[in-house]
Order: sequence, then C-alpha cells, then structure tokens
Amino acid sequence: MLALVATGCSSGGDGGGGGDQGGGDATVRLALTQDVDTLLPMDSNVGDNIAVLDVIYDGLVRYDPQTTEPYNYLAEDISTEDNVVWTIAIKEGTTFHNGEPVDAEAFARAWNYAAYGPNAMENNYFFERIEGYDAMQGDYEVSEDGEVTVNEEPSADTLSGLEVVDPTTLEVTLNGPFAGFDTMLGYTGFFPIAQACLDDIDACATQPIGNGPFQVEQWQQGQSLTATKFEGYTGEEAPNFDRIEWTEYSGSSSWPDFQAGILDTGTPPPAEWQQANADPDLSTRKVEVAGAALTYLGFPLYEGEPWTDVEFRKAISMAIDRQAVIDAVLPGQGVPADSWVVPERVPGGVAGTCQWCTFDPDAAKQALEAAGGWPEGETLTIHLGTDETQLEYFQAIGDQITLNLGIPYELDPSPDYFARRAARDFSGPFRANWFPDYPLNENYLGPVYGGGEPDEGNTSFGYYNEEFEQLIAEGDRAADLDAAVAKYAEAEKVLAEDFPTVPISFSQVTVFHSDRVSNVVLDPFSGSVKLRLLEVA
Amino acid sequence: MGRYVARRLLQGLLTLFLVMVLLHLLTTAAIQLNGNPALAFFGDRVPTAAQLQAVSERYGLGDACYNQLGNPCVGPFLDRLAAYATGDFGTDLRGREVTEIVAVAAPNTLRLFAVVGLTWLVVGMTLGSLAARYRGRAADHGIRAGSILVDAFPVFVMLLVYKFVVTVPMSTWARDTFGAESLPALLFRPSFSPDHPWATVLVPGVLLGLAGSAAFIRLVRAAQLENYNAEHVRTARSKGLGERHVTLFHIVRNSSIPVVTAIGFVFAEALAGAVVTEGLMNVYGMGGVLWSAVRDSDVSVVVGIVTLLAVVTVVVMIVVDLLYAALDPRIRFD
Amino acid sequence: MTDPTTSALVAREADASGPGGPARRDPSRSLWSEAFRTLRRRPSVVAASVVVLFFAVVALVPGLFTAKDPRRCDIGESRLTPQGLGAEHPLGTNVRGCDVWAQVIHGAQPSLLLAFVVVGASVLIGLVLGTLSGYYLGWVDALTSRLVEVFLVIPLLLAALLALSLFRNVDLGTGQLASILQPALVLTAFGWMGYTRYVRASVLEARNLDYVTAATVLGASDLRVMFRHVLPNAIGPVTALVPTAIAGVISTEAVLAFLGIGISPPAVSWGIMISEGSEWFTPGTRHLLVVPLSCLLATVLSFVVLGDSLRDALDPKLR
Repeated sequence: MLALVATGCSSGGDGGGGGDQGGGDATVRLALTQDVDTLLPMDSNVGDNIAVLDVIYDGLVRYDPQTTEPYNYLAEDISTEDNVVWTIAIKEGTTFHNGEPVDAEAFARAWNYAAYGPNAMENNYFFERIEGYDAMQGDYEVSEDGEVTVNEEPSADTLSGLEVVDPTTLEVTLNGPFAGFDTMLGYTGFFPIAQACLDDIDACATQPIGNGPFQVEQWQQGQSLTATKFEGYTGEEAPNFDRIEWTEYSGSSSWPDFQAGILDTGTPPPAEWQQANADPDLSTRKVEVAGAALTYLGFPLYEGEPWTDVEFRKAISMAIDRQAVIDAVLPGQGVPADSWVVPERVPGGVAGTCQWCTFDPDAAKQALEAAGGWPEGETLTIHLGTDETQLEYFQAIGDQITLNLGIPYELDPSPDYFARRAARDFSGPFRANWFPDYPLNENYLGPVYGGGEPDEGNTSFGYYNEEFEQLIAEGDRAADLDAAVAKYAEAEKVLAEDFPTVPISFSQVTVFHSDRVSNVVLDPFSGSVKLRLLEVA
Repeated sequence: MGRYVARRLLQGLLTLFLVMVLLHLLTTAAIQLNGNPALAFFGDRVPTAAQLQAVSERYGLGDACYNQLGNPCVGPFLDRLAAYATGDFGTDLRGREVTEIVAVAAPNTLRLFAVVGLTWLVVGMTLGSLAARYRGRAADHGIRAGSILVDAFPVFVMLLVYKFVVTVPMSTWARDTFGAESLPALLFRPSFSPDHPWATVLVPGVLLGLAGSAAFIRLVRAAQLENYNAEHVRTARSKGLGERHVTLFHIVRNSSIPVVTAIGFVFAEALAGAVVTEGLMNVYGMGGVLWSAVRDSDVSVVVGIVTLLAVVTVVVMIVVDLLYAALDPRIRFD
Repeated sequence: MTDPTTSALVAREADASGPGGPARRDPSRSLWSEAFRTLRRRPSVVAASVVVLFFAVVALVPGLFTAKDPRRCDIGESRLTPQGLGAEHPLGTNVRGCDVWAQVIHGAQPSLLLAFVVVGASVLIGLVLGTLSGYYLGWVDALTSRLVEVFLVIPLLLAALLALSLFRNVDLGTGQLASILQPALVLTAFGWMGYTRYVRASVLEARNLDYVTAATVLGASDLRVMFRHVLPNAIGPVTALVPTAIAGVISTEAVLAFLGIGISPPAVSWGIMISEGSEWFTPGTRHLLVVPLSCLLATVLSFVVLGDSLRDALDPKLR
C-alpha cells in the first residue's frame, strides 16, 4: 500500500552548506522542538502538534499562506444571517483513514468532547462562544491558591448550540453575534474525529485516525514520529513526497544535525546566526516570514503605584532599543513591535498604533521624572517563565532599563509563571506572549484585555476600560466582518491611549533548508513549514 | 558470611524505605508549597475549574492533605507503597505508564553508563597504574595535572564544543568518504539516533567518561602506592617473584578494591552527567526524563524513577560490599 | 564534576580496610608545623597559593581591579573582541554588551563564596555527626549510618533539582548572600556525608588511643574528651579534604548554572559566564568562554594542588 521509494542512497553533500542527499529519496526529515505529548486535535495547542496534525487532519477551512485569509476546504459553504446562527455545509464523500465518513456528526462529536469541561482538553476555551458551553463546565469554586471544589457536576454533555441537521449540514448557534466565527474553523481544535477515535481516546492520542493526506506510522514518544502518505486521500492539497520523519529535540539544538545533512530544515541558534548568513551557499536557501506572536511586557496594575502611572510605563517602553536587543540576542527571530495587533498579517492590524514604542532614552528619562522617579535602592523584578532564550532576551531588556533609566533589575524565572500570573502573584513587570488562535485583530484584544470587572480589572493585568469593552462588544455584533474589524481597531486605539502593556516584538521565523527540498513556505501564523506545499527534489 | 549477607540485605531494605519516605516528604512539601501541579499542565491557559479538578483526580492529587502545609500525607504514601508492591508504578501526567517510559529510556542510559564505566576503568587503571609506577617523575606529574585539569573542565563545555565545532565537519567528511550509514559517519553524528544506539552514544560516552576519570586515576594511584610499600608485596618480592608478576597479581589486584567501591558510589553521581549529556546529545534517557519530570512536578514519574534508581543503587552497594570481601583476603565476615 | 568527598570517602574506605586503619598519628602540633615546612618548599604549592590568594582578594574587593559595573550593559556595544589593557573593554564585551573584565572580576565572588559556605557548613555537620556517632556508637551510630546511606543513594543533581523546585517560589530577597543561599543549602544538604564518615573513622581510631582511655578513666566529661582529645585527631585529615572539596563546588556551580538551577542571572558568576560563553564558542566570540573558563580552571587547579599536597603532608603514610 505504501509506495516507499528506496532510502539510504544518499551521497555527496557538504556540512557547512547543508546536506545534498541526491535524488530519489522522497522522505522529508524535520525536527520537533517542543515536548509533543498528544496528537489529539482537541488537546493540541502548541506549534509542533499543530504542525504535525496539519497533514494528518483536514479542517473545514484552511488559510492562505500569504494573506492568512480562510478559504473553504472540507466545508462546501459557511453562511450566516445574523452572525449568531451559522450553517455549515460539509463536502460529501470524504472519509477518515479507517473508512468512517467525515460528516456533520464527526465534527459534532469532536466539538462536544472538547467542550466538556471534565475532559480537560486544551482547546476547550475555543468553544465558549457556542451556546450551551457553560452548562458543560459545571459549578465550582477556586480558592486563592488555585484549589478547586466542584459544587456541581456539569449539567450537559453536549453543546446545545450544535445541531446535526443532516449528514452534510451542521448548524451552530452562538451565545451572541460574532462575525469572525468562520475564521476560527480551520484551527486544530475544530478538526473532526472518528467514532473509533472517541471509543479509545488514549490510543487515538498516540495513533490518530485522521482524514488528511498523511497517517501516523509510528510514534516513539520523546524520540521520533514518522508519517506516511495515505493512499486513499481524495483532497486537492496533497504533498509530492511519501514520508515524513520528525525527530524530537526537547531542549537541545538541532542546528548541527541540519548542518550535517540529517535534517532538511534548521534554524541557527543566535551564536551561529552570523556564520549561517555569511555562508554564500547556505544563505541562498533561507526563508523568512514575519510571524504573528506578540511579546510584550505586562504590569501588575492591581498592585497600584508606580505601575498604574502611565508615565512610568511610557518610561520603560521608550527606554528599550528593541531593534538593537533583537539584533544582538535573537537575530532573525523578531521584529520590533509598535502595535498590539500584528500589522498586515491579520485583518485590522496596522503598524504604529503605539506612539511610545520607539526608542528615545531622553524622553524615557523625562517620563520617569514625571512619574516621580524610581525609589532609591529598590530593585525592579521582571517575572517570566523558564524558557532560556526568553531569559536572555529579557536580560537584555532589563539591561536597557538599567542603562537608560538607572533602575536596577532582577529576573524571576518561574516554572509556575502562568499559575502565578493567574493568581496575581507578581510584584513587577512580567513577560507576556500572545500567540493568536485565529487571524483576526479581535483575537489580540478581547481575550487579552477584556472581560474584567470594573473595580478589579481583568485577571492577568488588572486592566479595565468600559469604552474598550463596548467597542469589542459592538464589533462582535457588527453586521459583517469588515465593520467588526473596524470596531476592533477602534478598541486597539483605546488601548493605545491607556497603554496598559508595552509591546516589544513580533515573532519572526527564519528557516534554512537543504537543497533536497524546494518551495519552502512558512506559515505566517506559526512559522512552521507548510508541509502540503513543500516539494522534494 | 550468610548472616552478614542477610544483615546487609535488611539494611538495604531499610535504606530503600527511608529513601522513599524522604522522597515522599519532599514531593509532598513541593506540592503543598507550590500549589497544584495540575495547573502547570495547562501551560499558557488558565484552566477552568472543572478541567483542573479532572486532572487532579486523574493523577491522584485530589487528596485534601495536599492542601495542608506540613501534613505528611501518610494515606497517599501507603497507597503508593501498596501499588508498587503489585508492580503498578502509575502514569505520568499525560497518562503514559511509568514502566513503559522506563522501558524505553533505561536502555539508552544504561548504554551511556556502560561506555562511561568502561572509559573510567580503562583510563583510570592504565593512567593510575602508570602514575603510581613512575611516582614522582614527569609521567606521574603529567598524569596528575592532566587529570585534574580534565576534572575541572565542566563536562557541558566539552560536549557543547564537541557538538558545535567537531561533529559537523567530521561527520560530513566521514559521510562523504565512507557513506551515510557507515560507522565513522554515525560515530560523529551531532545527535543520538535510536536506530543506531551504540554507535551514536560512543563518543559522548567516552567524553563523559574522560571527564569523570580523574577521580579514578587518583584513587588507583593512591591505592597502588600503598600496596607498593605494603608488607605482602615486600614479601612477594623477597620470595623472588618477578616485578611484573608482583605488579599484576599483588598490586593491581589489591588496588582494584577501592575501584570496585567507587563504582558503587559513582553510579549515583554519573546520573548528573547523564542529565547533561542526554540533554545536549538528544538521548531519550532516564536523566532527561527525570529532569523534565521534576520541572513539571510530575510526581509519579519522579518518585517512580527515583525509587527504581534507588533499588539499583542499593543493590550495587550491597554487591560491592560482597565483592570487597571476595577481593580482599584480609576481610572476613563472622 | 565528580564529588571530591565521594572519592575521598572511597579512598578512606580503602584505608580503613587495612589492619588498624591509617597509621597512628600524633595529634601534636609538630605534624602541622612540619607539614607547613614541607609545603613551603614546594614550588607548585607556592604557585597554587599565590593563585588562590589572588582570586580570594579579587572576590573580597572586586573594586580594586575594576571600576566598572558588571551589570551596566550597553547592547549597542555587543560582542566586542578583547581590546587589550588600558582600553575601554580590555577583555571585550559579551552578547548583551556587558564588560567581560568587570564580569569576570565580580563573578569570582559568588563562585568562591558559595564554595566556602558549602564546604564550611558540610565540614561542620560532618564533624558534629561524625564525632557523635564515632564516640557513642550504638543507636546514634546506626541512625547516622542509615542517614548517610539514604542521602548517598539520591543522586546529588536530582536532589538539587528537587530541592530547588521545592523552594522555587520562596523569595529570599536580593543581594549576594540571598542569591547563593538556595544552591548553598542544597549542596550542603547533599554534601555532608563524606565528612561524616571520614570523621567517624578518625574518631573510632582515636577513641581507643591510650591517652583518651586514660582521660575517660580519670573522669573527664564526654564533651571534654571529644573536644580536647578526639576531635583534634580528626581535624587533620578533614583539613586535607577541604581545598579539593572547594574546587569541586566551584565546578559544580558551573554545572548548576548551565542547568539553570544555581545562581541565577542577571547575577554574575563564573558558572553563568561559562554556560553563556560555551554557547558562543564561535569565531569572534571565543573569549566569552575562554576568559571565565581560564579563571575557573586556574582556581580549581590551585585548590586541588593545595589539597593533594596537604594530604601528602598530613598523611605520614605517603611520605
């Protein structure tokens, strides 16, 4: 069944210049850099799982690699009258790898499973806009230290807003109007699953039953993952190679492996950056894409002065020479940010909405003075996670604050970063990162800054602005996507005036590839290689 | 002898039990101090309470004692002991059996240890004997200074430089000369490959072994020096036995005693090197698994693996004590 | 990276296996003064002492050697190569533009401080527990032996990880001492066992010496016997261990820094500099590794030489 082309006939090639493996070997060798611990679509929420599942599963829509615009794939048509009730027509005749049909029921069972709180799926929160979500979560109390008491089990185990009209029609009712609902539907969390998968969910998490062009052959957890072409695939977007071998690298660099010709793509660590770019041969095989993730600095506004003083936050922001920091510490992996929504990549994103995001040490000093200065002898604590590159990055940012404002700093890398942020356990600025879930400016705004109580502010920052909340809500209610995007953009302007957080950089992804592969296109969202477009010589 | 073995076994069991108690207290205190590890499970997202509850329940962290700082959580400890007794070592936070993880990871680490141990023995015995033989002369000073230098050299520096500076040109050259699947190309592969577990672990293992061999060299040297002047050696010499014979049978044999002892202790120490080596060379082994489990507060994995390691270490210690008796004619048990 | 106390302990075990253990020593002062005289005549010892003294002064008063603040880093001056003496950055700058000379001078302090604190505390614990268990034997000894074995079974690094994750949310405040407190506690907690066994063996031996028996018979109190007669006997061999142990902790600090669980940035220590520098061992930035590594190697080497010579001098058997 598998058309396995002869392997191991590699010859020639040079290390520094990347591997030249010769032709005839239609295997792509890639690296997985995060700990991948599940391949269940409903539970996959990190870049690597998503990249793997992108060839294992097909979704209702897929995104254009250039514009990030969604286009229908498994969906025949997605329509709505009022942005509340959405009717999805599904293409007929496609099947899972085990022969089960991919119909409305296949989507409904995946979504219901994900939305059911006690299943503890990572992508649970995607379904909160669908009617009946709350009834599936139950009632509970959370104490200060994060302990939970369940007072009431969930009263429902299916989403009331999800109706299978017939095998090819799915009707979705939302809690309220949301014009961007269809742009979410290509995300991993919305993939369908087979009944056989649901029957043995543990097996399915390691040996997925997909509906995409590839199927998982073997997954040695922690070591490697191989996928081979599914011969019965009828979709249009199928790659021209037969096999993908991923090697898992948790923590160690895969760059030397790329140089030695073992991998087909690689990203140099900062120390190797100059050499890689100076290599005349290698530098012709470089692909760059601006990513969509925003790294920014949050403040514990719930802690009062000096964080609540906008002048102080301006001082911090203008004291950071973003370009110089990126060039030194994360070359090729970021671009300075001067907005909260990534410009051009998503509808409504424009550059320059942040007026205090340019480096100006003098203005920064003045702003600090206006804020009343920094107390003598105090140290600024910057909280962050334990990721090493981020540690280096935020050290450089701290250095800038010390150099240009004279404020000494220390870092507080904590493995419990997220739990502590949720518990409001921070006493200084903290590193934050937003990776959008779907390409819409709303996704950078509402989920991050909205939803707070007027007196308490939202959980992460303690931010609240009534006007902002209203504009987001108006956007959700807007008649069409363009009107919605305009409203959301207005909300970003409100944010820019309040300046609750300091945008630092948007992600950028640079990938070098071997000369065996061509048409290397990077996903503008995640930065991972678009496997369906990749070609093996 | 029989009574000694029995007593030693009992002591070993007691030690094992105490190790488990200590581990249990440490991990329990960690949970009580740091809060529910299930929180870490959700990474970036703030989980809904129902999700949190589900995960806590699934991994046996639902017991109320985990919320009370200072509570020793005797109940869960006894439950765990009972489960271990039936061979159930639990699952990690993702539901993978600990025994299954160990089954995959342990062989890789054992391979690494085998290479490391062999390097120690070969380098330590050879250079240590040489240094003792030429005591006070240039060879002795050279070996001692060299070994101290290598010992002081942080092992991660050695491995990083090897990986980033040496492997790429070497493996490329070897591949071009001998072919991609040839032994030389595999030897200098920049990272571990599960398909060729021995070839790709050899060089990192030797490097790690070299880094740790200084202690052995010094040990062997000291032990042999002692023996050179010992009475039984003088007796052997006075009996007219050749210098070669004396060196081999009376000095080397007797000086292997401390080496055997050292293997017992250093076994535990070698794990530290394993964490670094496995991390850098991308070996899926016990060190790496343990390392990430501790960081994720994955209690079942930590306790399960450390208990297994403790069993091995205690057994090695007992075996060493018995070997000791076998090797040293002066030691008798009664 | 090998724990020096382990190897010392192993060596000790080997010694103890001999009939009657190590040759009896006279606890009088003559051993010390004689040892000092022998040591003074060795050029390697003199050289090592000079290096150790030099770095001790560097650690105590870094201000003597540099006026620059190691934490003042200008990213615009990133990765300058060494410019030579008298220049703005004699040893160049690191990735973030910090002055390498200032960093390596200020980095000596945490590294050495940690080593002294850990070894000091471990020796103290070892002396107390070892003396008690060697003197009283019985259940005290049994308990100590079990404790020693339990701690030996748990690998140091794992223990370090566990304990540091245990304390990770405990805020110890800022400052030099606070930043080394966590690694110091952990390294001490899992570093005292060797000394305990060592001291115990010495005490056991001294206990049976005639003059100790005489003192006991004459009605001297336990404490008096321990302090006046037994302990002095144990001090000698333990002193010989100290320099090697200090060297070991300095190396271990580097490994902990590499694993991200030791002294943490932006504090500066040799270990942190080495672990950063080893990633930048590429043309143009090799000095980032070479400079701190040379300092560490020189210091460690000197301590080991001192330790070895001290052991030779204090151990009459090897003369």
